[in-house]
Amino acid sequence: MRIGLMSFAHVHAAGYASLLQARPDVQLVVADPDAADAPADEAATRGAAQADRLGIQLVADYEELLDWQPHGVIVCAETSRHRVLVEQAAATGAHVLCEKPLAATTSDARAMIEACDAAGVNLMTAYPVRFHPAFRLLRREVRSGRLGRLRSVTGANNGRIPSDRRWFLDSALAGGGAVMDHTVHLADLIGELVDAAPVEVYAQANRILHEAADVETAANVFVTYEDGLIATIDSSWDEPATYPTWGGLTMAVHGSDGSATFDAFNQTISLHDASSGRLAWPGCGPDLDALMLDEFLGSIRENRPPQPSGSIGFRTLSVVEAAYTSLATGQPAAVPGRQAKTSEPSHVSADACVLEYCPTHGGRASRTKGV
Amino acid sequence: MSEDAVRVGVVGAGFIASLHVAAWSALGAQVHIFSANGASELAQRYGARTVTSLDVCVDQADIVDVCTPTSTHDEFVLAAAAAGRHVVCEKPLARDHRRAARLISACGAAGVQLFPAHVVRYFPEYEAAHRMVGDGTIGEVATMRLTRTTAMPTAPWFSDWELSGGLVIDQMIHDFDFARWVAGDVVQVFAKTRGDSAPITAHALLQHESGAITQVTGGWGLPHTAFQTTYKIRGTLGGLDHDSAICLPLRWDHADTASPPGGLLPDFDSVNSPYQRELSDFVQSIRGGAPPRVSAADSLAALDIALAAEASCRQGRPVDPREMHQ
Repeated sequence: MRIGLMSFAHVHAAGYASLLQARPDVQLVVADPDAADAPADEAATRGAAQADRLGIQLVADYEELLDWQPHGVIVCAETSRHRVLVEQAAATGAHVLCEKPLAATTSDARAMIEACDAAGVNLMTAYPVRFHPAFRLLRREVRSGRLGRLRSVTGANNGRIPSDRRWFLDSALAGGGAVMDHTVHLADLIGELVDAAPVEVYAQANRILHEAADVETAANVFVTYEDGLIATIDSSWDEPATYPTWGGLTMAVHGSDGSATFDAFNQTISLHDASSGRLAWPGCGPDLDALMLDEFLGSIRENRPPQPSGSIGFRTLSVVEAAYTSLATGQPAAVPGRQAKTSEPSHVSADACVLEYCPTHGGRASRTKGV
Repeated sequence: MSEDAVRVGVVGAGFIASLHVAAWSALGAQVHIFSANGASELAQRYGARTVTSLDVCVDQADIVDVCTPTSTHDEFVLAAAAAGRHVVCEKPLARDHRRAARLISACGAAGVQLFPAHVVRYFPEYEAAHRMVGDGTIGEVATMRLTRTTAMPTAPWFSDWELSGGLVIDQMIHDFDFARWVAGDVVQVFAKTRGDSAPITAHALLQHESGAITQVTGGWGLPHTAFQTTYKIRGTLGGLDHDSAICLPLRWDHADTASPPGGLLPDFDSVNSPYQRELSDFVQSIRGGAPPRVSAADSLAALDIALAAEASCRQGRPVDPREMHQ
């Protein structure tokens, strides 16, 4: 199977490349034409330098990559660049696995879904955590009613600030900060446990850590679902660079008959380096990226839709969009309407003038809104 | 405690009263108990006396320790103040701001000290976190995540939210107080609660004046629920983590697990008891020492955060605790 990797921009791109390179059933080629845009200190892990280091064939640009007629592509560009690459790939008939969040705006996400539908290709969103065997078990138990009716979820997806890919801190490229980066995994996991749609989001955020960033670096996002389920998601980049691990994801689920706690990355050992005094927690748990890539490749081979789909990417991004509205207004915000129906977000404010956080332009735009 | 043992009149004989009586006895205080029910059994367990009227209870005490249901605190606190006795009162001081403020001013006017029993400030892990934040060890606080889960208390008045304030006011007030102690005053609270009967959970988001953000989760679970409390605090120079469930000095693996020990509150050894330390802190204060670690004003501020959370639950909007001064 021919797989094309579009860009080394994302922090996970190298990991995907290594996994695919090791598979005898996959031929891998990469294009990273935007490498020149990256900061100088990231150059060693971009473009030809990175391709050489990983032993992968590099081509000059995306056109050349797509001319090779890959069966599937993995889009690892900066978030605001996802749309153009997915549309290009779909037009050539390649199935798509796209990094999260699916896009910087739900309107871009909607366009990407429609482009793939029109071209008859798969669109998969990169949510690896749902492939964890322990989560699969939790999902089965919850869906079978073992915990009764779900009442609340406490989720946390924390990590070090992604300082080795500075575009994450640039709202024009990333669409936002910690909320954009770390809300969606938990939104996806919750969506796997319940069918109820998220309807309202309230968020609080600050920039006390890593003040040099111009995006929020810590946030709590409070999501309410249409059946009354409540979930709080801590999406902060609050682990320092010297923390023993990159971060983690935990989810406590409370139902009418009991509770369960899932920890995606706590299967570690503890390593103490006596000379430096540093402590590290090397992970020994399942390789979630490998499991996710299995699903992507399997969906192509078996000619079936993959999960999670682009629609899941859209719905989880809608939660993020509502969170940014809430941050701008200081009030709870309605989750923007469903995919095919509205072109305007459905949040309503009693105020005549709504201050909106504009993710793609990085600032606040004021917009007069009739009531 | 010194040779002239302090005389303590404990009002109430329920669960929390038993912890206070145990602590006072270990501290060497002379304890008498006044309660409509259960006074003799409790007194017998700890070698204390019982008295049969409030007047006698107050009269024979240096300190009156009010451990009754929240809605009944007023009568006992006011009686103690009127008689010039110092007062310990369990949290929350009252079910609403006005009543709590009245207790504080009555004690102030009578020249007696009112000590709110916010015992979590005396748990070693919480004490240490506050000290290290105060020392600047982790820099400026950016985020806090606090959780507290217990089996739901069984006394019927807890289930009546008009009387107890429910999970948000009766239990989460501990973490609202801790959050304020560590990261300063709170200006915005958004909260929701789930479940009319156990298991009940509530989530609250707090925005501090400093910009710090705190997430509090409380749980009143089914009878089998083990006690657990956690915190995660992150600042500009480092972080602090605690999980009571992984810090157990002793674990049991026994066939007889039908009633796990310590379901309502943590097991802890009596020498190190946070209840002893809080009461001892109060005693040294009324003997002319430094003010205790937690004041009545602190307790009222924590109550305002809890009341704001309750209002937010009802109204579906964020609420400023300063609006509670009604």
